[in-house]
Amino acid sequence: MEILDSGIGELFHIPDLDGHRAYIRENKKRALVEKVMTEQEAISKYVNDGDYLCYDCTMLMRGPSSLVREVIRQRKKNLGLGGRFTYMIVILMAAAGCVNRIDIGYIGVGAALKRAFDQGIKVAEWSNSTLTMRLLAGSLGIPFIPIRFLGGTGAFHYSAAKLAKDPWGDKEVVLVPALNPDVGLIHVHQCDVYGNARIFGPSVSPLEIATASKKVIVSTEEIIDTEYIRRDPGRTTIPYYLVDAVVEAPFGSHPGEVAGVYASDPESIFEMFRVAGDATGKQMEQFLEKTVYSITNHKEYLEKIVGLEKILALKRRATIKQGYS
Amino acid sequence: MTRATTFTEAEASCCITARMIKQGWDKSYWVGGGGTPLISALMAQKLYVPYLTLVLEDGVIAPQPDIPLDPLMVFVSAKANYRAVAWTNMNTVCSHASLGLFDYGILLTLQTDPYGNINSSFLGGDFYHPVRRFGGAGGANEIASMCWRTILHCTQEKRKFVKKMDFITSPGYLDGSPHARERAGLPANTGPYRVVTPEAVFGFDEETRYMKLLAIAEWVEVKDVLDKMDFEPMTAKKMERLEPPTEEELQILRVNVDPSGGTIGEGKWINL
Repeated sequence: MEILDSGIGELFHIPDLDGHRAYIRENKKRALVEKVMTEQEAISKYVNDGDYLCYDCTMLMRGPSSLVREVIRQRKKNLGLGGRFTYMIVILMAAAGCVNRIDIGYIGVGAALKRAFDQGIKVAEWSNSTLTMRLLAGSLGIPFIPIRFLGGTGAFHYSAAKLAKDPWGDKEVVLVPALNPDVGLIHVHQCDVYGNARIFGPSVSPLEIATASKKVIVSTEEIIDTEYIRRDPGRTTIPYYLVDAVVEAPFGSHPGEVAGVYASDPESIFEMFRVAGDATGKQMEQFLEKTVYSITNHKEYLEKIVGLEKILALKRRATIKQGYS
Repeated sequence: MTRATTFTEAEASCCITARMIKQGWDKSYWVGGGGTPLISALMAQKLYVPYLTLVLEDGVIAPQPDIPLDPLMVFVSAKANYRAVAWTNMNTVCSHASLGLFDYGILLTLQTDPYGNINSSFLGGDFYHPVRRFGGAGGANEIASMCWRTILHCTQEKRKFVKKMDFITSPGYLDGSPHARERAGLPANTGPYRVVTPEAVFGFDEETRYMKLLAIAEWVEVKDVLDKMDFEPMTAKKMERLEPPTEEELQILRVNVDPSGGTIGEGKWINL
């Protein structure tokens, strides 16, 4: 295939199709076995220093906030992040010193990203759908995927995409490499003990992440009986054999919302934006100390940081139920 | 319809865009992020096109949002996605755009140039050492690449309309040369269509792809607009005058669409 142009951005995670297949053959459980564990166990077992990590949605809506806090709490190092369609996850992890490379789709507060540059974190520029298309390729087990966007821009130039001649036609087409993250973190409405997970409402790319990632940790608002899954299989978003760990995490997206279950918490969200914008980084340090390091686990976070009164209020504010349950 | 005499710059841009959507009532609109693009679409839905084909970046198809939305959570929220006909995901709507199903994208831009390219990445310095850094392309790149036509929102300021940008995050007509977009791998016959500011509407010359001033608000003259640009656009032979917002439009915006004023409160107040 004739390559006409190449982005100069570093490809942080080079596709290795057969290596991935070999990993899956060895490690993914095909049997229907229980996978419930605490977030502490799940993160320590499945997230290694240096891993490349992707997550679905944002800390504003159905993001895996409690799992992200646990990654920070365990002071994981040198992680790579697929930062598309995100607000705070990249920023918190970078500020906590967990990250050494970021693929940027959209990462929220730019000032915090500038600080990350100064700390020597490497970045490549993409866009939201470029990264979800890369995950799609990863989930299909193919090495790359042609797309009709990204070309011609600075985002292309600082990515690792390529412009090629379509081998069957005469047109130029942009190619982006598959992304098979080491770890996928996904928060869902409901899941059974085996990992059959349901998401209600729109999403970014939960199934692509669950399918493409080597290790998949699902946190769930509630654990439901498999009988309910079998009665309504059309509502299963992620089937069990893609999932490695199931963590029960009610209010696990806080400060974000989970549609139909609880509303987002603007007070806490604005606090995060405010501390992220502090050029010295001091406020962020204090924020992480208060909400992550000084807290043992998600249950204690709910008790000490969120509190019963707010939990009830956020539940009350989620007045829309239709379609989300 | 009662002519309004006091409104914000953001309100002016929303009213202009909502009227465009009224004209294009049978077209589809792909909107990413919040801000004036989404507010314009919601305003048009309330006022002119109840069954607007609005598609959101996270896969929501034709929602009838439960407005007012929560502060900050202008989209990606249960309320914004309410009463849609389908909740899909990012790759699904991206593929719909790739197939040519989406007529218009509406995008907020930090900076634009004579060819309607968009910068939303950084200002000053270089890529690895930016003076001011922003969030990145987000979904703007795919919207600007694959919708048939893109409508850009920008404020009328010299630092926003620049000859050459520090970075092209999302594509306009690139360097303006014939078929520049296709050579870069983008779909044919796509590109920026209008640039809407609170006081002007621009299009692009069919030959040169250079930005062209088409219409101005009644409280400015052509010179006032040109003074607030770093480059001189082409100007239409017959300059149109934009009708100012009406009280009826503003009522919908302020009471029904954005009562907290989070978006429509942006920019200076205009007093006629």
